[in-house]
Amino acid sequence: MINYLIVLFAITLMYFSSADRLITYVKLIAIQGLLLCGIAIFELKEVNTPNLLFIVAETLLFKTLILPWLLARILHRSGVTKVHRLAMPGFYLLIFSIFGLLISVILAKILINPYINTIYLAIALFTLVTGLLLIVTHKLIISHLIGFLIIENAVFMFSLAVGSEMPMLINIGILLDIFVGVLILGFFGLRLKPHTNELTLLKD
Amino acid sequence: MLLLFFVISVLLSASAFLFRNRAVTRILTLAFSVVLILFTVYGWSNLNETELAYFTFDSTGVLLLTVLAILSLPAIYHGFIYTADDSTKRYNIYHAGLIALMTFMAGAYLANTMTVLWIFVEATTLAVAVLIYHDRTEMALEAAWKYVFICSTGIALAYLGILFLGFIYGRGDAPNLSFESFSMVISNASPLYLKISFIFVLVGFSTKMGLFPMHTVTIDAHSVAPPPVSALISTTLMNVGFLAIFRVYKLFASTSVLPFMNHVLILAGLLSLLTAAGYMLKAKHLKRMLAYSSLENMGLVAIAIGAGATGYYAALLLIILHSFAKSSLFYQMGQLSRILHTFKLDACGRYMKLYPAGAMVLLTGMICILAIPPSGLFISELMIFRGLVGNGQWFVLIVSIILLCFVIYAMSIRIMHITFSDPRDEEGSKLPGAVSPVETVSQFFLLAIVIMLCFYQPPFLADMINQSFAILPR
Repeated sequence: MINYLIVLFAITLMYFSSADRLITYVKLIAIQGLLLCGIAIFELKEVNTPNLLFIVAETLLFKTLILPWLLARILHRSGVTKVHRLAMPGFYLLIFSIFGLLISVILAKILINPYINTIYLAIALFTLVTGLLLIVTHKLIISHLIGFLIIENAVFMFSLAVGSEMPMLINIGILLDIFVGVLILGFFGLRLKPHTNELTLLKD
Repeated sequence: MLLLFFVISVLLSASAFLFRNRAVTRILTLAFSVVLILFTVYGWSNLNETELAYFTFDSTGVLLLTVLAILSLPAIYHGFIYTADDSTKRYNIYHAGLIALMTFMAGAYLANTMTVLWIFVEATTLAVAVLIYHDRTEMALEAAWKYVFICSTGIALAYLGILFLGFIYGRGDAPNLSFESFSMVISNASPLYLKISFIFVLVGFSTKMGLFPMHTVTIDAHSVAPPPVSALISTTLMNVGFLAIFRVYKLFASTSVLPFMNHVLILAGLLSLLTAAGYMLKAKHLKRMLAYSSLENMGLVAIAIGAGATGYYAALLLIILHSFAKSSLFYQMGQLSRILHTFKLDACGRYMKLYPAGAMVLLTGMICILAIPPSGLFISELMIFRGLVGNGQWFVLIVSIILLCFVIYAMSIRIMHITFSDPRDEEGSKLPGAVSPVETVSQFFLLAIVIMLCFYQPPFLADMINQSFAILPR
């Protein structure tokens, strides 16, 4: 079951490359939150119940509901709908994304470790690559925010891979979630002009 | 005692935020400085003791804590002056943020566990963001946004490095990822995992140390943040990033990845020097120029660690001396902007005539930061070059010296222009402000420490520095 959820997660990552409406990005972030919740429930069998409940509540509340809601609010305020006005065309992004997946699988094979599921590692690396790709190839601030949220999901995925006996690592990952959710989206997301790339006041 | 320090600091910060009275805020902030100094004295008298399981008063941590304690008083003093015209609400937020920042930095210095260190580093980002956004301008918002965004990405990458360390352990072996428990299993770790972990940690914590390629975040933050905050970002906060990288370096140094780490650090150092030299040659904003100077010094620190042997001592000495010299220059920038009403190079001039005490700080600070004798930084740079010669790393040595020549030229020509020339554009013809020469006393004091350490390094300081890298291979 975990493998199915992980593959579904990978599909959402590929979909980021081909989507051209920002609201689709927001929905994908929510779906990823839901999938991570499922993966956490199936993976963390050895974690004590209160800790598991905390992790599940965090993924459901923060990743699936609050963060997408904040993003949707930012989109609604700014009135921006399309992704590609200031970004690399989706076709090229898709090609880069496929290369990213290929490299991630090869890296996961190289990094094979008796304690880690290779599929976990491959998809976590692919998530990281997708997040970085989105930040590098897009110019809208809102796309950068979404890219960062994807990187954060990569971190969560990595921490799940090692987390059965180290719940502290997962809890710290959650700390990062709250930090990002509240500060970056809640404060800066609403004050900056997220639909533009108007960050040019500071330069040499 | 540690718990008491944290509790008192939190209470002081919260009280400074809540009490809408400037006099009370001033007393609370000064009280924090006293508490920090007492806490540092306690640290010296309890070396290598562990408290609350997650904190140890080790030599490196205590050394950097001492630097923070010494710099806390001038930072608070210049903060009072900078915020004098602000509304009470902003005044309180500033000082509450300042107390929080210094508390988090103290926690980061003493953390003996990777995860706790990471938490405190993350917390410093929050506190600094508040301080960078102090002026509430569009530029302040942009700088704060960039700082939080890039630091968060860096923190996430550093966390991935920590997770790779977790993979080394396997399951069920490591409850808290402490440096001590790591050192016991590190010899069995896969070198590939160690290399990946080091790269992630280096790139991630470079956002704090201000090393290439994540240096941009601190450069933008410097140009907008209040000068006393810039002084902290450029010194004690960079020291937090350095410490995080240095702790991981020390941990891995007993394994086969040591040469790899040295090569990576030297490469990062050279690229930092190259970037700093290039941008300093075209710098038009004085605080940005000082920020690039910090990049240059952190590049030298990375090269020093990469060179090994005498380089370790030189790196720690450089970190300490840079903190004092750079702080005094940033405080002086605050006064310069009150007199000339700008940070733009072309609008500055005749500073020696307008404010001789400040001009003397600028000139002495320039000599100190450029490592020209009698600056203590001269000793540390000489040791770095000796280390490079000893290793036969001639290419690194020659490239470093050439780049340093550019840095010296770029900075000295700008400081000389401010001090002795007429302003190039009309903005400089505004009526100059008035600042009391007494305000420069703390800056001269810090520069005096830098000069004194050129001639005499007290045995207790040398011992502490030597203890900091005692376990490293020579």
